[in-house]
Amino acid sequence: MVAQTCAGAAAEIDFAHEVVPLLQTHCVECHGGDEAEGGFSMNTRALVLEAKVLEPGNPDDSILMELVISDDEDELMPPPDKNKPGLSGKEIDVLKRWIAAGVPWEPGFTFAKDRYEPPLKPRKVDLPPARDGRTHPIDRILDTSMAEAKVTPPGPATDQAFLRRATLDVVGLLPTSEELDAFMADSSPDKRAQLIDRLLDDDIGYADHWLTTWNDLLRNDYTGTGFITGGRKQITSWLYDSLRQNKPYDQFVRELIAPKPEAAGFINGIQWRGDVNASQTRDIQFSQNISQVFLGINMKCASCHDSFIDRWTLKEAYNLAAVFAESPLELNRCDKPTGEVATPKWIFPELGEIDPNASKPERLEQLAALMTHPENGRFARTIVNRIWERLMGRGIVHPVDAMDTKPWNEDLLDHLAVQFAEDGYDLRKLIGYIMTSEAYQARTVMLESEPGEDYVYAGPIAKRMSAEQLIDSIWQLTGTHPGKADAAVNRTIKAEKKQDSEHPFANVPIKAKWIWHKGDVGTKSQLRQSFQLKSLPHEARLLATCDNAFEMKINGKMVAKSEDWKQPVTLNVTPFLKKGDNLVEVAAEMFGGSAGMIAQIDMLSESGDRGLLITDQSWEARPPKGQWAAARELGPHGASPWGKVLNPKEAAAATSPTPPVRAALVKTDFLMRSLGRPNRDQVVTSRPGELTTLQAIDLSNGDILAGYLGAGARKLVKEGKDGEELITWLYRNALSRKPTTDELAALAPIAGDGTNPIAVEDILWMVVMLPEFQIIR
Amino acid sequence: MTFEEQIARREFLKKLGLASATTLGLGGPRAWGNTSRTKHPEAKADSCILIWLAGGMASPDTFDPKRYLPFERGLEVEKILSTFPAIDSSVDNIKLTQGMEQIAGVMDRGTLIRSAVQPDLGHILHSRHQYHWHTGYVPPLTVAAPHIGAWMAKVLGPKNPVIPPFINIGQRLEGVGEKEELKAFTTGGFFGSEFGPMNLPYPDDAVRSVQPPKGMEPGRFADRYKHYRKLIDKNPNRELMSDYQQESMLRSLESAHRLLKSDEKKAFDLTLEPKDSLERYDTGRFGRGCLLARRLVEEGARFVEVTTEYIPFKHWDTHENGHTTVQRLKQEVDQPIAQLILDLEARGLLDRTLVIVASEFSRDMMIEGVPGSNAKDQSRAKTEKLQEMKHYGLHRHFTGGTSVAMFGGGVKKGFLYGKTADERPLLAVENPISVEDLHATIFTAMGISPKTAFDVEKRPFYATKDGKGKAVMDLFA
Repeated sequence: MVAQTCAGAAAEIDFAHEVVPLLQTHCVECHGGDEAEGGFSMNTRALVLEAKVLEPGNPDDSILMELVISDDEDELMPPPDKNKPGLSGKEIDVLKRWIAAGVPWEPGFTFAKDRYEPPLKPRKVDLPPARDGRTHPIDRILDTSMAEAKVTPPGPATDQAFLRRATLDVVGLLPTSEELDAFMADSSPDKRAQLIDRLLDDDIGYADHWLTTWNDLLRNDYTGTGFITGGRKQITSWLYDSLRQNKPYDQFVRELIAPKPEAAGFINGIQWRGDVNASQTRDIQFSQNISQVFLGINMKCASCHDSFIDRWTLKEAYNLAAVFAESPLELNRCDKPTGEVATPKWIFPELGEIDPNASKPERLEQLAALMTHPENGRFARTIVNRIWERLMGRGIVHPVDAMDTKPWNEDLLDHLAVQFAEDGYDLRKLIGYIMTSEAYQARTVMLESEPGEDYVYAGPIAKRMSAEQLIDSIWQLTGTHPGKADAAVNRTIKAEKKQDSEHPFANVPIKAKWIWHKGDVGTKSQLRQSFQLKSLPHEARLLATCDNAFEMKINGKMVAKSEDWKQPVTLNVTPFLKKGDNLVEVAAEMFGGSAGMIAQIDMLSESGDRGLLITDQSWEARPPKGQWAAARELGPHGASPWGKVLNPKEAAAATSPTPPVRAALVKTDFLMRSLGRPNRDQVVTSRPGELTTLQAIDLSNGDILAGYLGAGARKLVKEGKDGEELITWLYRNALSRKPTTDELAALAPIAGDGTNPIAVEDILWMVVMLPEFQIIR
Repeated sequence: MTFEEQIARREFLKKLGLASATTLGLGGPRAWGNTSRTKHPEAKADSCILIWLAGGMASPDTFDPKRYLPFERGLEVEKILSTFPAIDSSVDNIKLTQGMEQIAGVMDRGTLIRSAVQPDLGHILHSRHQYHWHTGYVPPLTVAAPHIGAWMAKVLGPKNPVIPPFINIGQRLEGVGEKEELKAFTTGGFFGSEFGPMNLPYPDDAVRSVQPPKGMEPGRFADRYKHYRKLIDKNPNRELMSDYQQESMLRSLESAHRLLKSDEKKAFDLTLEPKDSLERYDTGRFGRGCLLARRLVEEGARFVEVTTEYIPFKHWDTHENGHTTVQRLKQEVDQPIAQLILDLEARGLLDRTLVIVASEFSRDMMIEGVPGSNAKDQSRAKTEKLQEMKHYGLHRHFTGGTSVAMFGGGVKKGFLYGKTADERPLLAVENPISVEDLHATIFTAMGISPKTAFDVEKRPFYATKDGKGKAVMDLFA
């Protein structure tokens, strides 16, 4: 530093005893702690210097000096209208000497308020005693806190309300009237627990519903900014499979942070064309997104400058980004290069370090391990809080991304987090754990206004249906599901859970051969076979697999897709076959190693005659754009390296190959966008809670909804129910209850004899517009 | 003090002047900081119409004539600055270009800015510059930024409670190129969809948005709602009536139906416009959009955007054949824009309605971006000498000097602000005005402090970037 020339200013300055009291008295009320008036905070030396209001060592060139002595009322600091005395001559001298001395600062000192610092490590909670025989650990904790707050625990929800809530929460659909009847008729004392198990066992329903939450969180979509230029990749297939298989959450996150290509779309973010702000590069997006999604930590402030609102610094944001960066990453402060280069680092060094000299894939592996480290309690707390919010209407920490905030019940959060980890990071088990509590099964509370920071738990809060839940429910009532999903997801019902030795196909031998095209193996093969059927089979079952992936069409319709040769497709293909000429086409692909396709269709006629179609040399095969020729047989079923992969005991799915397409699986449309399905350019962790006027207009006169309701009404009319039957059917299916006498009396005159589709359409609209329909209680 | 220090000082003073924000809107994010102290400027206008000539309107061929050379085979293109000759306007020192005679006639009602500038984003992309222009922020961002119309809807609320405060006319968001990019800024952003646009891509069909669904008689529609209200009254869960979620849902349905049965909804119906008046606007979809905007503002719309529609390589996005295209576009926009100004004036609305005519950037015959930019040349009619008509036009995106016209809403009448160079590069050489400062000016006219901020993820998000946009007070009378 240049030697001081300013006489008298070089005297020793005592930061703690002279400067701090001065700043405390005059400045930090507006420029310290939580306040940063004009974006200027004096919390730390770095922040003071960053604002360029003073020139260390040079008080005469420091704006701050000018401001405290200014005779312009608009400039003077502190502002005259603050009723603060101006700085005394002595104080001005202190300030001057402090600047002249190079702005010394006590290391680690900050004017920031003592913040709640969430504990890092998991904490096992000693459970309080159960009250009133409510023994579930969640209830033991909540009942105790409600007793302390003198809140009476809410009574249990009715069976109908519970059934509807649980079904919508787990699979995102309405319970049908048949499910309602069965549930109400069931007198077993644990019928609620049984229902929860049954719902959680529905792999497809669960994945279809929770895909929405995860698409929002992981910024995954089927269309949107960046796809057009290849600046963005989907992770849909990986995500859906992970949900369907209930992949343990720690493994799920490791696969996202240190991904194979199919899951890389999340950490790779969106590459924009042209130059972007330094805080928006892919490296920084990585830092921001993994902090937000997995830890509920906001790195957005800190990716531009040291955060004013929490403890995260620019350096920490960049060091985390450097784990992902391909090349040395220079820190930019407020979009300006600083010359400092980031070192790949994890934000909780207590848990371990990342080797800055390791390769990028190794660094990501290390980060994935640190993120999911058993001692990283924040990792588990963040996700249990998100799940709690989805099920109970409000986070234990709220908003769910502000995990630096104190939870309203630390014991509850810590208990759930530890339980979740002990249960193997099993998301469905966690959902079941919450749902089996009396707390979840209680009546929702009535709230006159949106809860604020003084929130006190008094029971579950009702939730607005998401756009997808509302559309799915309407499709369910009206039978207007679209025919085709846009999302590349595997929803075929696998036969592994449907082994059946009594099935007529259970003991047929597998005669199919492994085949491929002749000549150079390449990576892709096209295979086809045409065949004739004299009559339509009563039942036809496909067993097929391919090393590594295939798509099969029968008579031009896509019937099966698979990317995992160890999980053969088992499918009832009866609906795709026809009398006369039939054509099976396969597009096969090899990812590396061996290549081969095997398929067998067993058929059974009404009279018991059997038919068989197998892959063998009579098939035609070719490489893409090659010449069709007889296929090459590679070996019988059971041949090496594949072994006996097809299992005839696997019965095909009963009637339809897959359940109806769900809203989460199609691209967004005008109606869903209006109802709050987001553009997934950014991570989204919550949806709007209230219906807006513009949404109400779209629901009242939009053509998309009117189309569903009109089509649904025409179908319902054909079923021949009379007016009253129809209203009852609708109430039972839409609201899980019968209409009251009053309601029936109000609607019966409109429904008439139930034959007028216009009247039925209007009734459908009225019922789906009921708050009772759209708000999950 | 060095010059840089002076700038830093000024910046700092400006920042300290920041007072916190306030909001009149309900729901959505909270205003940042201490809500009592934001000083909003006194509003000069109650409504705003943004006429958006999407795709990059070449200033030298429209509002800022330069040396004109007619088409001539073999002419060196670098000699050409404008492909239209200049014409006089109703203001002595303002000349426009041929084909804009009607707008030239009303220039004495407004202010012409010739020095708007845009940042160099490295690669000229309409969608990013449009996002920037409409939100005041360069994408990508970590949060969804609200459209300028959403800011007005949020901070000012509707002017007439039955008319949605933010209406967007003429832009399809489906079935057009870059639709996702368009949707990204045509939105209420983090304010939520209550403050997002009511989209009316086809002015003729606008009335459909306030009518019962296709094929439903108005009587049946009204009855359906009446029966619905009755059904609500019969609901066995009466105690839930004061639940805030339920209440807000019923309130929204009520306001929707209030609009759908209101007299004001006639504003959406262009068939109710007298024939001679309709004809004065009817140059096509855009012209009818201007008429719709006038009708909506008359009934109390807060913010209306009318666009010629952005479709990649169409309309003002002239990558080739620019002259011929602009000639046609002028026939489409000249008459209706001028008529809109005249009609607002005749109805006594112009003084309290701010009309802005703008585009994401300008165009030049030679330069892509600004001189020295690395931006890739995107002309589709590259040639050194004119060979055929498609070569004749301003085919490169230019960000160094763009024209913006403003009428009404307290801006000076017959005023010219800023200047671009007379020779290439046609950079703004006087009073350059950034997107942020332009926004600050528009917000100030509407009575919104450019420093208004809302709390997003515990950070302040300002109406103009970092609260730093500074209104050009010179533009106001």
